[in-house]
Amino acid sequence: MGRRAFIGLVVGGTAGTLLTPIPWKLTDDASIWSQNWPWIPRVPNGDFELKPSLSKLDNSGVGVNVVTVKGRPCAVYGNPEHPLSRGGISSLAVNEAELLYSPSRVQSPLKREGDSLIPISWDDAKALLAEKLKAAGSDVACVSGDDTGSGTDVFSAFVAAAGSKLCFYMPAEQVDAGRAWQRLGGQGMVGYDIENADMVLAIGADIFESWGTHVRNAQAFNKANPMGGEQAMRVVYASPIKNRGAAVADAWVPVLPGSEAALALGIAYHLIQGGATSGGPGFEAFRSAVRSGYSPEKVQQATGLTPEQVADLAKRLASAKRPLVIAGSSFGQGGGQNAVAAGLALNLLLGRLNKAGGIYALPEAPAVVQGSMPRRQILANDFVDYMLKVGAEQTKAPAVLLAYEANPAYALPQTELMAQALDKVGFLVSFSSFMDETAAMADLVLPTPLVMERTEDMYTPYGSGWVNYTVATPVIAPVFDAVPAADVLLQVASGLGHNLGFESFEDVVKAKAEALNAMGGFAAGAKAEPWKVRVGGGAPSSSGVSDAVQAGKAWVSMATVNASGLSLAKAAAGQAAAPAGGEFPLVLAPLFELNVGSSKVAIPPHNVSTIRDTEAANGHFFVRMNSATASKYGTGQGKQVTIASKTGSIKARVSIDEGVMDGVVAAPLGFGHTAWDKFAQNKGDNVSKVLTVASEPGVAAPFWAGSMVKIA
Amino acid sequence: MVQQNASKESGGFILFFLIGLVGALAVGWLLFPALLYSEKQQPIAFNHKAHVENAGMACEDCHSYRENGSFAGLPTTEQCAECHMDVTGGETPGEKEIDRFVTEYVQAGKQVDWLVYQYQPDNVYFSHIAHDGFACAECHPDVGNSEVPPSLYRNRITGYSKNTMKMWQCERCHAQLETSNGCQVCHK
Repeated sequence: MGRRAFIGLVVGGTAGTLLTPIPWKLTDDASIWSQNWPWIPRVPNGDFELKPSLSKLDNSGVGVNVVTVKGRPCAVYGNPEHPLSRGGISSLAVNEAELLYSPSRVQSPLKREGDSLIPISWDDAKALLAEKLKAAGSDVACVSGDDTGSGTDVFSAFVAAAGSKLCFYMPAEQVDAGRAWQRLGGQGMVGYDIENADMVLAIGADIFESWGTHVRNAQAFNKANPMGGEQAMRVVYASPIKNRGAAVADAWVPVLPGSEAALALGIAYHLIQGGATSGGPGFEAFRSAVRSGYSPEKVQQATGLTPEQVADLAKRLASAKRPLVIAGSSFGQGGGQNAVAAGLALNLLLGRLNKAGGIYALPEAPAVVQGSMPRRQILANDFVDYMLKVGAEQTKAPAVLLAYEANPAYALPQTELMAQALDKVGFLVSFSSFMDETAAMADLVLPTPLVMERTEDMYTPYGSGWVNYTVATPVIAPVFDAVPAADVLLQVASGLGHNLGFESFEDVVKAKAEALNAMGGFAAGAKAEPWKVRVGGGAPSSSGVSDAVQAGKAWVSMATVNASGLSLAKAAAGQAAAPAGGEFPLVLAPLFELNVGSSKVAIPPHNVSTIRDTEAANGHFFVRMNSATASKYGTGQGKQVTIASKTGSIKARVSIDEGVMDGVVAAPLGFGHTAWDKFAQNKGDNVSKVLTVASEPGVAAPFWAGSMVKIA
Repeated sequence: MVQQNASKESGGFILFFLIGLVGALAVGWLLFPALLYSEKQQPIAFNHKAHVENAGMACEDCHSYRENGSFAGLPTTEQCAECHMDVTGGETPGEKEIDRFVTEYVQAGKQVDWLVYQYQPDNVYFSHIAHDGFACAECHPDVGNSEVPPSLYRNRITGYSKNTMKMWQCERCHAQLETSNGCQVCHK
């Protein structure tokens, strides 16, 4: 074949090929092939089933419906029948199904050997735990990240049986609130009847994101503000930054973090001047303390609000038919007792105790685990205070510390100092579903199933206006080699000769359901709504707790406890004062946004795409300040800064946000993880590092709202 | 002489050009499709026609919607076993196939790995109930009138069936019917 003939053949072949499907079909198929890697999970095809469960990833206490296909959980929705959900769900809880398969799940028990954690069997893990606990004797402590489940009862009973009193809750809004309620002489727990209020003043408390039953709060607001319909509830929100909650509220009032108590008591001043009186004990002392410590001028210095603005809030409350005040920390922790106590005092002044749309004294859960510590006793222990003393070697570190669904190595204020204190613990045991920062430094890691994989219960999460109890039963067998923490502890306790009265956690839950029957209640549902029953609407037939919870429903009771001991005498501690200034002139306003995670859960993989480029990008995260503040301190949009406090520093970039108050740096919590997985790591810094623990005025307990920082 | 050589060479070019062109067309249109697709047979030679004509069944008796409106697709072995729970012991090819189904699947408690002619990828949200006004055969092969299920031709590169509907087909129909072609309609 000659050269021309060859060229003719090639050109003819090429032209012919272009007129066939070969190049076009191969290109198309190659692009499809590139989207079909064999490891991409496939959605199973089969019948959809809805199985009721519960989410405890945040504090909302939502009952959920898990969509399963061929037994496999595929999605999670809010349960429309559950009164704390009403079909709603948080941006964290919606990840429950995906987190079952999270790359950061602990897949088997792990034991420390040098710098590594190595897998061991459950038998070996229990034997090691028993050996260490036996050697420790009474020198054992526990910290729990769950204040609504009976699992903590098992832990507190175990610690008590060992002869120790050291059982703690992780710092949280409900912990401060529980202490504040007790300080005013309250019995049981405080409940907020949000659904029946016609005006809610939220001071600090971010009721739609982090405070209490936030999903239920948002649903109550939503139902009371129908599109095009009559507005039945107004919300005024006081916070240092115009955040998501402020965006939907009827009005936003800028108030410096840490000055929530001053604002509440400043409002009390105007109410009292207008003739308000509680008629209850302690009013004279309260009035005197408010007049001397919270005059309009002092409140202006502390909050930045003019006397007219504060008086206007008082007027709005006084003119509402069913006002409700909810006070707390704007980031769900560290706000101390004074803010909550001052908010409760306002409710008492407004006559909102045991009134529809007001506050109620709810009974605590009955104790069923033999020797378990009452909630009141655990609230008297402060974990931050304890760890500070351990760090300063004023208190001996425990021989064994049991961390139950708690991540103190990441979530405590002054994080680096706290991690050093944790290092002093003789033997740190982490009962965790995820390889979090505490598990990563533990001596023994015992994987716990997620709620969807175990039996779990929940009694009246903080904020709920009525007693409620929900039980989740396993939707799926544990994906990994995990065993419920309470079951592990009951077995180990038995081996050590501690009789806690039960052999399995399931029996604990059954006993609790039986004990709750004495309160008399009903199974909640679309036709048995607690907030309507509270005001005499409907008359649901009473239901046994076991029957209700076995049917996947929330059991609800309208039971209350005697509130005659409530006194205003200690509701106005300290004095309103301006931020300290000096070397650290800026007030830090941490932001708690659920999609980024909580103190228990890091950014879920599926939530990474919800983080905006103005919040985190390229490994760094952004702190927010307004342009005047940025200009004053020589920084600006996109510039890198070091935010330093007395106790630590973080690196960030600046995002200009005119919704932040003057002199305030707003910084999102939930970033800066060093453990977990690639979805949570290498994203910004941990704001908890610069939270500075101070002694709360008039209370002398740890308090870290209003931490002062500087731009270094 | 020079002109003669040029003419010869030009003729050789055209001849081989045509050979190359025709050869490529033959490979591209005849050989390539045969190589690109593998031919698969259903694990059971299900006789649709016998079920429709003899048993008087309708498509939706087996290919039904669930309570929530989602499409259940293919029947399970348990559903088939509601009629075919025992072997027939017959000698016809059809009876032998039924008996094979009963022994290999019903009695063994196994599901049949039926081949799906138009399986869509997971990123496509196709609602059958939203297309309920169309006859099945407007989109699917008319298997309802077949005595032996047709072969499935599976693309060796993509893994999809030759009959799997492509996005342009969905879009064309939506456009013709003035239904939205917004991304979110099919990709949730």
